[in-house]
This record gives sequence, structure tokens and C-alpha cells, in this order.
Amino acid sequence: MNFSRFSKLSAVVLGAVSLLTVSCKNYLDQPPLSSITPDAYLNEESQLGAYAVARYTDILPSHANWSFGTFGYDANTDDMAIPDLDNKYMPGLWRVGATGGDWDFSNIFQVNYFLQKTVPNLQNGRITGTSANIRHYVGEVYFLRAFEYFKKLQALGDFPILRNTLPDQQAALVAASKRSPMNEVARFIISDLDSAALLMQNVAPVGGTNRISKRVAQLLKSRVALYEGTWLKYFKGTAYVPKGPDWPGAGRPEGASYTFPSGSIDGEIDYFLTQAMESAKEVASAVPLVANTGIILSANNENPYFNMFSAEVMSSYSEVLLWRQYNKTLVTHNVPVNAQAGNYAVGLTRSLVESFLMANGLPIYASESGYKGDDYIADVRANRDGRLNLFLKEPGQKNVLLNLAQGSHATEIEPIPMVWESSYEKKYSTGYAIRKGLTYDAAHCGNGQGYTGSITFRAVEAYLNYMEACYEKTGSLDGDALSYWQQIRARAKVSTDVNSTIAATEMSKETADWGAYSANRLITPVLYNIRRERRNELMAEGLRFMDLKRWRAMDQMISTPYHVEGFKLWGPMKAWFTSSQLTYGANVNNAVVSDPALSSYIRPHEIRSNSNSYKGTRWAMAHYLNPIAAQHFVITATDGNATTSSIYQNPGWTTTAGSAPSGY
Amino acid sequence: MIMMIALLSSTLLQAQTVKVEGTVGDAQGPLPGVSVLVKETSVGTISDANGHYKLDAAKNAVLVFTYIGYTAVEVPLASHTQKANGIYTVNVTLNNKENNLDEVVVVGFGTQKKVNLTGAVATVDAKVLENRPVRNATQALQGLVTGLNISQNNGSLESNPSINIRGTGTIGNSSSSPLIMVDGMEGSLNAINPQDIENISVLKDAAASAVYGSRAAFGVILITTKRGKAGKLSVNYNNNLRSAAPVLMPKMMDSYTFGLYFNDASQNGGSAPFFSPEHLQRIQDYQNGTINTSVIPNPNNKLYWADGYGYGNANVDWYQTMFRKKTLSQEHNFSLSGGSEKTQLYLSGNYMGQQGLMRFNKDDFTRYGATAKLNSKVTDALSVNYSTRFIREDYNRPSNLTNGFYQDLGRQGWPTLPLYDPNGYLFSSPSPALGMAEGGKDRNQTDYLYQQLQLVLEPVKGWKTFGEVNYRTRNDFRHWDVQRTYNHDVNGNPYVYNTNSEVYEYAYKENYFNANLYSEYNRSFAGKHFVKLMGGFQTEMTKYRNLSAQRNGIIVASIPTIATTSGTDANGVAVAPSVAGTYQRWATAGFFSRLNYDYDGKYLIEANIRYDGSSRYRAEQRWNLFPSISLGWNVAREKFFEDHVSFINNFKFRGSYGQLGNQKPADGSTDFYPTYVTMPVGTANGSWLINGTRPNTASAPGLISSTLTWETIKSYNLGLDWGVFNNRLTGSFDLFRRRTLNMVGPAPTLPSILGTSVPQTNNTDLQTTGFEMEVAWNDRLKNGLGYNLRLLLSDYQTTITRYPNETRNLSQYREGQKMGEIWGYTTRGVAKSQEEMDAYLATLPNGGQSPLGSQWGAGDVMYADLNGDGIINSGANTQDNPGDLRLIGNSTPRYTVGADINLDWKGFDFRAFFQGVMKRDYWQGSYFFWGATNNIWWSTGFVDHADYFRADANHPLGQNLNAYYPRPVFNSSKNQQTQSRYLLNAAYMRLKNLQLGYTLPQAITRKAAIQKLRVYFSGENLLTLTKMAKMFDPETVDGGSGGSVYPLSKVYSAGLSVTF
Repeated sequence: MNFSRFSKLSAVVLGAVSLLTVSCKNYLDQPPLSSITPDAYLNEESQLGAYAVARYTDILPSHANWSFGTFGYDANTDDMAIPDLDNKYMPGLWRVGATGGDWDFSNIFQVNYFLQKTVPNLQNGRITGTSANIRHYVGEVYFLRAFEYFKKLQALGDFPILRNTLPDQQAALVAASKRSPMNEVARFIISDLDSAALLMQNVAPVGGTNRISKRVAQLLKSRVALYEGTWLKYFKGTAYVPKGPDWPGAGRPEGASYTFPSGSIDGEIDYFLTQAMESAKEVASAVPLVANTGIILSANNENPYFNMFSAEVMSSYSEVLLWRQYNKTLVTHNVPVNAQAGNYAVGLTRSLVESFLMANGLPIYASESGYKGDDYIADVRANRDGRLNLFLKEPGQKNVLLNLAQGSHATEIEPIPMVWESSYEKKYSTGYAIRKGLTYDAAHCGNGQGYTGSITFRAVEAYLNYMEACYEKTGSLDGDALSYWQQIRARAKVSTDVNSTIAATEMSKETADWGAYSANRLITPVLYNIRRERRNELMAEGLRFMDLKRWRAMDQMISTPYHVEGFKLWGPMKAWFTSSQLTYGANVNNAVVSDPALSSYIRPHEIRSNSNSYKGTRWAMAHYLNPIAAQHFVITATDGNATTSSIYQNPGWTTTAGSAPSGY
Repeated sequence: MIMMIALLSSTLLQAQTVKVEGTVGDAQGPLPGVSVLVKETSVGTISDANGHYKLDAAKNAVLVFTYIGYTAVEVPLASHTQKANGIYTVNVTLNNKENNLDEVVVVGFGTQKKVNLTGAVATVDAKVLENRPVRNATQALQGLVTGLNISQNNGSLESNPSINIRGTGTIGNSSSSPLIMVDGMEGSLNAINPQDIENISVLKDAAASAVYGSRAAFGVILITTKRGKAGKLSVNYNNNLRSAAPVLMPKMMDSYTFGLYFNDASQNGGSAPFFSPEHLQRIQDYQNGTINTSVIPNPNNKLYWADGYGYGNANVDWYQTMFRKKTLSQEHNFSLSGGSEKTQLYLSGNYMGQQGLMRFNKDDFTRYGATAKLNSKVTDALSVNYSTRFIREDYNRPSNLTNGFYQDLGRQGWPTLPLYDPNGYLFSSPSPALGMAEGGKDRNQTDYLYQQLQLVLEPVKGWKTFGEVNYRTRNDFRHWDVQRTYNHDVNGNPYVYNTNSEVYEYAYKENYFNANLYSEYNRSFAGKHFVKLMGGFQTEMTKYRNLSAQRNGIIVASIPTIATTSGTDANGVAVAPSVAGTYQRWATAGFFSRLNYDYDGKYLIEANIRYDGSSRYRAEQRWNLFPSISLGWNVAREKFFEDHVSFINNFKFRGSYGQLGNQKPADGSTDFYPTYVTMPVGTANGSWLINGTRPNTASAPGLISSTLTWETIKSYNLGLDWGVFNNRLTGSFDLFRRRTLNMVGPAPTLPSILGTSVPQTNNTDLQTTGFEMEVAWNDRLKNGLGYNLRLLLSDYQTTITRYPNETRNLSQYREGQKMGEIWGYTTRGVAKSQEEMDAYLATLPNGGQSPLGSQWGAGDVMYADLNGDGIINSGANTQDNPGDLRLIGNSTPRYTVGADINLDWKGFDFRAFFQGVMKRDYWQGSYFFWGATNNIWWSTGFVDHADYFRADANHPLGQNLNAYYPRPVFNSSKNQQTQSRYLLNAAYMRLKNLQLGYTLPQAITRKAAIQKLRVYFSGENLLTLTKMAKMFDPETVDGGSGGSVYPLSKVYSAGLSVTF
């Protein structure tokens, strides 16, 4: 072997290797080249706006495709019915989930990350951009946290209050999982809404009413405060309020020693109702109602009150405080198609239709009312509250006035209600269908290709919140309340003489309305008419179930089943249908409608005896709050024993997956 | 270059010719049909039935004896003496390649004699890949190597098989795939011309693959491509013409049966029948030919046809409609090889054009390949090797052929949905066809350019130094367009159905650089001790970048380019184009070394060590050391064996242990920065429009574990190789255990109040154990019939040995759990009557079956109360309290087998290759299995589903009390719980390849100056034995959407191969 050659080569190899070793250190440092690190973000106005708006669709309600959008949210209440009755009305079928459910914090994490990062920077002025805009966007996120928390408050009541994101450590997370009393949650929401109102402007600087504003925060505050105030009032003395008998929170040290900030539950009720009135008035006194011309069919949509619910652009309607815009290419929904057809099987109930007054202000059963009966839908509409006349569809009416050739799924003429159909796309569940949300422009009627706007907040709710909060707090209506009421009735083309309505109201004839009850007792005619106004004005706007819960308006169905009904099928209107379209019989396999022996009104849940809903709509006390899924107890417990969890279950529910509530 | 070849081949020496004769044979006796050729000429002959041959050759000629499956032998006449009669007698014994223990196997950074291997290494000869009418080499490899698991669960032209070696390696966010090396450089097994492959080595255990370090945690596949051979220029052309048909497709119900089926499901769910009597009548009328309109005008808008789901009365089998029955494809290969002793050249070209099965809008795949390889010995001490390879793949498909298509084909393809409206236009409401036919095209082009330069320095005998620079660029271009589609109204006027039109363009470039520098030294001492030392350095750097743009508003449908879009939506409103572009990089570096020692071929030892660094981790966690050792003892070399059991030629025990690290991101993932926190930001992608346009969006960053580091793989292997009866019976057996430790497992469950995904950490271990066995018999009968039988059997099972699931919840991994476990209820049966169900429920006093549903009746499933608590439920859904759930099966494919049978006789050759899985359960709870589910819009109806429970004796489909399926119920999943009765048996055996060829006698072909001419027929997937439910293919039951996939193909092909 040639040694010198060997050593020369070895030297070269060794040299190369050591060179490579040295250069490896930097060579292997490869940071991301086209990603943004957290330090570099949320430092500038537009970044705040982008973060905030990304949360909107996760948190706020708006139309989704292939449904009746927000107009269908009231399905499964006494207002509207779909063929499938929800399990919550059939005690025994609603069971504790294994995983998931409302005990979810993903939206809360998103907003808390933002607030924790930007609020200190806002105070230090470290964010670039126009101060007003920066403040507005931070305010939006406060608002969004409040809205998310309000959803939790309704679903679960007591709930953990989180102001920051948490570390991924078991002990810290278990400790943070403790539920705070519901009134504390409501106070936390109100404080967020106060922050939001303080930071935001009356109209968003960019995007107008497409974005959240101060007015929206004030409106939501009145809603939350009214919710908590009335809940505490009607559930007082039950396990459903903090410190009440058998309140599950009392089983935890922090619950046992809890004292109300105002000293007593009555103090809390008064506090919330006062807050509700104050914030409702701020909106109601500043935002005028949109005019109603009473015109139903007009190609040029001259009726703003009608058009407000289905306009492509809703900015011009003062009452619309926040709305979501759609676009034929970018984001679409199918509400226009379903509004022209059977409302995606979300049918208006007889109860809601009958709750509307006559135009003269009298209930339909009043001797002087002039009610023509309900043998035909035309009769039902005649001389009624202008809103029923406007929004209840009648066979033979035109649904399309513009661009018929553009809508393959348009329904040009309202047909007889297709009660015999089974698919939601075609079915009329109750025979009554609504016109709210309908556009006469068939350009929106490609299948799933509608792009009318979706209303998220409407100012008239503040008028109604004020009226109710005022009456619940003081037992009477003040001048503002009366004025708001009369403005609403005038716009609805109903006599503004509310006293004659109250005088003519017989509570024993209003029992089909769940809202006629609180805690299994009929309420006073004054309060009932306030609730009636709310029900009629906010028809199909997704607030009904929230109202029923806070009024504790389902107790009466614990012992007595309720029967949801629709139009009077088995009256003269049965002549509209062929006999096969009216196949009935509890044991008839292909029955499509309910048996006339049950009722001359169609009962959408009582067609065949093999359906769980055949025996009617019932209730269980435990159903006022949702159960927390079993897994959450196990993963916050020691040794997987749910009873050691830092979380407690809602009254009546157990911590075992698949179990139905007992005792409530 | 061609000129140079020509020069080389023309240097034939002209000399005096002499007569040569002799006998050719192998260990068993004379071999007929052996080709005897005078080297560098076209002169030659073939041995006769007794192995005799005669020919004339130049005195200084070299004779080349070749025969399929045998190692060629070259005999210079000069080494023989001329007999008195002037005739040379040259008798030759050929060695069967299969049995050849001198065979050299390619291993990491070098080669090793097969007989001296101590690690678990399997090899594949290119011969078995030949003439397979498949799209890529991976498909052809399926079943050929024990422990190499290849599965293709979708037949679409762009889906490539997934590969693993010895089963599941990791359940974390990293890759279980083996490292694929093509001529020493990381590459793809799919993007290579299968005809360029010379051989393949599969390194299965850590001892064999440790030298590749962190990239080779789960084994290595080494591909060596062909290189030029010294000698006469040889030109080969072969082709392959194919006809493919779907191997298995679901068959849909006829429309009337479907209508009744869906009505039953509606009624059983307590709803009104979906199809009204009038509608059913129309369906029947259409089937009977009484009416010929597939749908009626919309009752509410007479201008239009009514909705196809609500009103259609056609009778369409959408599977038969969307897929073609037959497609044609072709492949052509050309190669040229030759050179002198110092310089050799190899050139090849490949074209493959494969048509897809889509009927309405073509899908096709084309591959072009070109390779050039030059090997030159510049001086005695220095060789230079250079190769370049270019591969282009073109894949075109309809834009709508996405995974959603497989899903929608079932749930949207109702038999009653019209394909064409009564005027004969494609009709969508929606339907799978219109968008497919007219919704635009998706075109992909991928170019790979490989450049490899290698310098080999051998200054002294036995000491070689290799310097290698490898560079690969990959360029992807993709285009898709979405076209506006039109339906037609009752009068045949078109109207817009899908208003959107847009063009998307995407470009991607990958630069991969790899440099290796290593040196080896081998020496033997005293003829008994053999030592080999190797050490070196390897580095890799990959850079990616991509750029994409999408803009709305195609101005002219036939010109779908970005430049010819308007940037506006259907209403003429400007829509912001979406534009994206990213950069990414990663790098590795490693030092490695290997020592081989053997004593007289009896005692063998190999040790490897590698020190590796990866850019995926921060400096503190970056570097890792991976050692391995393997030992072997060839008992057959012991004197006792050689003296007394001489029929045993080889009997070697092997044992190995090695440790490796894994840092590779999951296949297809571009997560090269797992330790960095980044903000998810989106440009103009918000769906809450602001002033009519999409806003920008941003979200909170995910949590990242600060301690993220390598996964460690420890692998043990015990093996035995044998060769008996003159190596006619050979085989091997391996037992292995592989532990993956500190895996980046699925994140643990933390209290939900965290509000975001729990970051992944190194928190999980698993262990895979298994065995591999291969037995081959190779012989030739006296009558000249050669036969070769190879049987393969392998198995593995993976067990989770650590996982943060303290409650042992069944919906997550659990310690001690075997991978693939299926937990479900035990089915007692389907109640034949209400009384039977009531009687059964009466035995369950504590709640019956109510946790699973309500309204139990005739035709519903009765679940067994295994824990005797009087209620059917899943308890706490934990392993300790599973309620009535039990372990009912396992979806891991067990006992993978292969059987390769080869026969040859007088120029005919025959091959049958079977591949299968002997045991596998699968739970396919999709609507493709069930038909009607709890949601009518996620339901379908195949003929198999018609075997459902019907109590009514007057039912139009007849009573069916002994049905396979329970009664269908919309709005309830009560009968569709995971349960024993409906567990599928996914075991199968498939005739993957059947080949019959004939090589024309050289005596004939030589007249046309052809060295070899073979014609053949080859078929793929011709026969499948399985007990799988009829709508699924056992190979694809876990693919696509719920087992609905682009079908695999049955292929018939024919071709010829000619060598000049």
C-alpha cells in the first residue's frame, strides 16, 4: 500500500467531514419561511378585524344552507312543528350523552386568546391603526364572548367563568372546571357587554350593519338581563336557582358558602330587570321601527316591513341592527326556495295562528271579534292582525313576481298544502306555512342558491324586552312601555287600544299557548298580552324556546300531554285532497295524516302509533337544563370516578351515559 | 453516444472458424433450450432435448450460455483444447439463479453476499415484475416479499398503493412508510419505469437499515436500476396492450324495489312513505314502458322539470352509468445497452398510456420516462458513473372526480333519479352525472428529473471511496376549472344550474439535494478472516415552494385560463381572486459506520452506527445516535455438516438488534416545523361577508408541546435461512419484534375547558411482532419441464404498550390493546315477530334496549345482554366496564400469503401468482353496507339490501322473515350498532397475475437477426375468492368513502418482447 497516498486521501476525507460537521449546526436550523408567528400578529387594526370576523359564523345565528335558516329555529315549540318531535318532549328518550355536548369551550378559547393578547396592548397603545377602529374590534370580541356565554347560560345554567386561556395541565384545568352560579355567569356576560358597548360605536366603522355595534351590545344586554331576571323569578324556590333547595352547586364548598352580590335572590331579580329596562330603552329610544304599508304582493316590494326579512341588502332598514350578507357565487342558502314551498316542513301551529288578535284588537274568541273561523285559510287571515295577514301563506297566492325563468326550484303559485308528502323539501307539516323570509324574486330560487340577507338582531326586540322587564319589575307598564307597545301594534295594523285587548282576554281560552303559563299556573291577562305581542312580532325568529324556558312555561305538560295541531284538515278543506293524500289510521302502514277521530285539526306528531310522539308532547322538569355529557365528569375526576369531579350535573340528570333523568 | 456504441460493436475480430459442440445442463441433468451465443456476434444456437448443441465459432471466441432463471456463463474457447478431430467440446453446468448462494445483494451503501447476510433482507429479481399490466412498480410488488405490505384501496388513476414493512410502525403524527432509495438516492417507487429496475432489496430490520438512520425507521426498499453491459449492443423493445374492466361494482336496485324499500324505511321510522302511490305507479309505468318520460314537470312551476328526487321515476343503475365497462391502454418500452470493458451505456424509454373508467368525461394517466446511464472506468483507480432520469406523469380527470364523488354516487344516485330529462339532456337536481360531464377538467403534470453523479476511487485494492452528489427536481403543475353547468327546462331551453365558474392554477417545485461521502475497506487474513469497514457522511436538503391562484368568471367556456377570467361572480360583482404561495425546507445530516467480520463464512457479525440530526427539532433535541448489531452462524459450513449431512447446502441462524429514530412527518404532510407556533390566517376566505366580499380571517394558534422529540424504534429479529437438496429447496424464516417508543401519539384527553386541541407529545409506545416465512422449490424434470414454486406467509400484530388513557376508554387507544380491535354488541338475532321481541325485552327488566333506540318490533335486532344487567348499553364505554360491548373482531390483515408458480417447457412459460389475506374482520358501518340508514339523504339501495326483513305476507316484494338485514328504519340507528352479525369477513385470495408466454426458437428468430422474441398474454385480478359482502371489494373495503371507491380493474393484456 502506498502509505503517503493513503494519508493524503485520509486527510482530505477527514477535512471534508470536519468541515461538514461545523456547517451542520446552522444548516439544520430551519425555521418556517412563510408562516406568521404569534408575536407578529394582532398588532394592527386590520388584523384585529380579521380575527373578530372569523368568529361570527361560529358564534352568531344566521341562515345555513339546505334548511329554512333562522326562520326554522322555532321548530319544536308551540309556535312551529316539524314531523320529528324532539326527544325533550318525550321524557325517557332524552339521555345523557357520552361525549361532547354543550360543555365545549372552543369558541371561548378563541375569544379569550384574543382578549388576553390585545386588551393589555390596547391599554398601552401598542396596536397600530385608528384608535376608534381598534377599540371597536376589541369590543366586538367582548360581545362575542358574551353571546357565547349566553348560549351556555341557556343550555346549562351554572358555568365556569373564564377570562383567560388555560395551560394544558390537568390540575389547572380541573380547578378551572368549577361551575359558577348562573347569576354570576349572567353578571359576567353583562359586564362583557358593558365593555363592548363602551368600546364600540353606534355603527361599525367598516362594514356598517354587517358588523356588530354598540346598539347590538345594548340589545343583547337587555335580552340576557331579562332572561336571567325572569328565570330567577319563575324558578325561585327550586333547584334551578343558586341557593335554591337541592341546588346541586350547594354540594361544593364554593357553592355552600355562596352569597348573592345583591344579598338575596329578589335583589338579583331586581338588578337584572333594571339592567334589562335600561339597556332596552337605549336601543328602543334611538332606533325607529320600519314602516309597514300592509302590501303583501308587490313586484317592487313597496312594503319595507315585509321586504326587511328577505332583502339582499338590509342596510337601509333601521330596525336591522346586524345582518349577514350572502352572495350568489360566494355563500348561499336555500331559504328562498323553502319559503316559497312548505317551509322545509317547519309548519306554523294552530296555537300560534290563533294567538294573533283581530285587527280590532280583540282575541278571536271575543264575542265582538268578527272572527270568520278556520274552515279555510282565507277565513283565518280575514280581519286579523296585519302580521298574520302578511305572513301566513294562502293557496293560490303568487310567490313569484320577478325573474320566474331564473328559478328552477321556484314555486310560482302557492299550492294547497302538501300535507301528504314526506320529504322536508316538499312537506307542509301543519298545513299553515309562512311568508316571512320569502322573496318574490325567483333569481334566488336555484336549488341551494339563494342569497337574501339573514337578520341576526332586530331592534323591535328591545321594545318588547322593555315592556316585559318593566311589567315584571314593577307590575305595571310605564309610559315608555305603553308607547313601545302601541308603536308595535300600530305598525302591525292592530288597534292600539291595548286595554280593550286585556279586558277581552280570557286566560282559560289561551291554554294552547305554553306562554300562558308560568310554573304550571296561568298568568295575568296583562302579562299574557305582553307575551302574546312578543310571540306574534317575533314569529319564526328563533327566540321562542328561550322565552319558554325563562318563563318556566312547560311545567303543565309534565302531567298532561299537549297535542300540537295545525290547520283544520278535517273540515271543508279536506275536499282539496284526494283520498290517497289523506290516508290515515294509527295502524295503517302508509298513513300520511292524523286520524279525524283524534281531532279535526291535523296533528303532525300523531299519525301512526309506532311513532314515539303519538301520545303527545310532554315535559320533564330536568329538561329545563341540558345534561353535561358523561365523559366530562370522568376526565375531571380522580381515578375516573365521576363523583369526585370538580363539575356537578344539572338537577335530575345522572353522570352515566345513556341514562334518562329521574326525580325531576 | 450512439456513434460510440456503433464503434464498440464494430470491433469484431475476424478470425478462423472452428466447430464447437457439447452438453449443457444444471445440477439435475441436461437442459434443453439453452441459448448458446458467440459473444458480440449474432451467431448462436439452442441446446436440443438432450442438452446437446453444435455451432461454428471463431477460435478466439467467447461462448455465452443463457437460460431464463439461470446465471449466464461465459466460456472462452481459448480455455479449452481442440480435440484431434478439430472439434472443441465445451460442456457447461448452469447455476439456477434462485439457488445461487454467491448471489450478491445490494444493502445500504454497498453490497453483501446473500449467504453472508445477517440482517433481515429480502430481494426481488426484476423478472417477476416483467409484463405485469399495472400502472406502477409498487402494484407489481404486492405480495412478492414477505413482510412488505402493499395495499391499494382505491382504483383511481392517481391513487398509489400504501406501503409498510412489517406492519404498523407508528400511530402518531409521523410516517410508517419505508424509505425508498433508487440507486442510492431517496426516490419514488411509483415514479419509475418498472422496466428499468434490475433488482430490489427490502431491508426489514433495524440492523439492515440502521445505516440510513432517521429516514429508515420502518425499513428501506433499495432499487437498483439496470446499467449498460459490456459487449455487443443489445436493443430491446417490448409492449403491452391492455383491456381493463372494473373488477367489482355494486349493483343497484331497480327503481320500483328501491321505492318500496325507501317507503318501508320511512314507515318503519313512523313517517309517511317517501314515494306516494301515484309516484310509485309512475315508476312502474316507466319500467314497463307504458310511459317514457323520466320525470314530470314541476307541479308548482310548469316551466321546469320537477326535482329528480321528489318526482323522478327513471330506472338508472348509477354505477353502470358512471363507469365504463371496458377501457384500453398501452405500454411501450425501449432499451439499449452495450459498451466496452471500460465504458458502458444504458438508455431506455418508456411510454404508458392508461385510460380510466369514467364514462362522461375522460380520466387518463400517461407516463413518459427516459433514462441514460453511463459507467466509465477512467483510470484503474477511478470510476465515474453518471445517470439521469426523467419521468413525466400526466393525469387528467373531471374536476368533479373527487372523494366526494364516491360518497355521492350512493347517496345521490337513486335509481329513480333521471340521468336525462325527457328531452334527452343530462339532468341534475343534483346528480352525479351533469357536473362530471360538463363541470370542467382537472389536469396534473408532474415532472421528475434525477441527476446522479458518483465517483469511485480505489487507490489500492480493497479500499474504495465513494463520492456521490444526487439532485432531484420535481415540478408539479395543476390546473382545474369549474364550468358553469346548465339544466334544460321543459321546452328544452338551457338555464344555469351551477352559476359558478372559476379557474385554478397551481405550481409546485421541490428541490432535493443529497450528498454522500463514504469509504470502505475490506481485507481477508489467512484466508479465513474477512473484515470490511465502512464509514461516511450523508446529508439531505429539501426545498419546496408553491404558488397558486384562482379566479372566478370564465369568459369563454372553451378557454379556461386565469388570463381569460373576468374576476366577477355570476352577478357581475367583483370577487377577490384567491392567491397563495408558501416556502418550506427541511434538512438532515448523518454520520455512519459499519463493520463486517466473518470467520470462514461460518461465524458472521455486522455492526452499524449512525449519528443523525434533523431540522425538524430544535437544537437541544436534534441529534441522536442509532446503533445496531447482527450475528450469523452458518451451521452448514461446520465440518460435521459438510461431512455428514451434505444434502444441506446452507443452514444459517441470524439474530439482530438495532435502534432507530423517526422524525419523518406523516405521508403527504408538509408539517416540517412541528416545534414552531404559527398563526392560522386566511385571506379573503371568511364566510360572513362584509360589504358583499369575503373578509380576511385569523384564529388562535394551536398549542405546541415544548418537549417534542424523536420517536425511538427498537427492533429485534431472529432468522433462519436454509438451502437443501442442492439448493432446490430453499427458504427462510424470520421472527421479529419492533417497539416504537416515545411516539408522538394522538394527544391525551384533557378536560374540555382547555377549549383547544391538546398538543401532541411523545407519550405512546407500541410493539409490533410477527413472523415471515418463505419456502421455494425449484427443479426441472427430465422431460425439460422446469417448475418453480414459491410460497410466502407473513403475519404481524401491533399492540399498544403505553397510552395516556387512564380510564381505558374504548373510543381511544388503550394500553394492552391490539391495533384494529373492533368492539361491538353480540347479535342474538332479528326478531321475527312483535311477540318475539316483546318476549325478549321482557327478559331485560332494567331498561331493555332503550339506550339504543325505541319502538322495538318485528324485524329489529335483539342484542345480547352479556353482562346480565337487564339493559343493553355500553356501560362506561371503558375496557373495565364495557356494558354489553365485547371484542368481536380485528381489522388487522392477518396471515398475508403469496404463491408464485412458474413453469417453462420448450419455450413456453407460464406463471400464476396468487396473493391474499387469510384472516381479517372489518366493520363497515357506512350506508353502502346498510342501504337505508337513519338519514334518508345518507342512504342508498343495492340489490343486496333487498334482503331485508318484511313481515307483511302481502308485501309487493314478498314476505321475508329470514332476511339478512333487519328492517330498515329512517331516523334511527338502533339496528345498525356495531355488532357481531354484520361484521364483514375481509379475507381473500386473489389471482393477481396469470401469464402465458412463448419464446420463439432462436433458430427461427436468428434469421431475422433477432436474439429473442417472446409473445405473451398477461392478466391481472382474474379471480377473487372471498366471503366479503357483494358490494365491496375485500381490498378496498376500507377505502374511498365508506368502502365506495373507484373500482380496481381486471386487466387482460397481450404483448411482445423482442431483443436484437
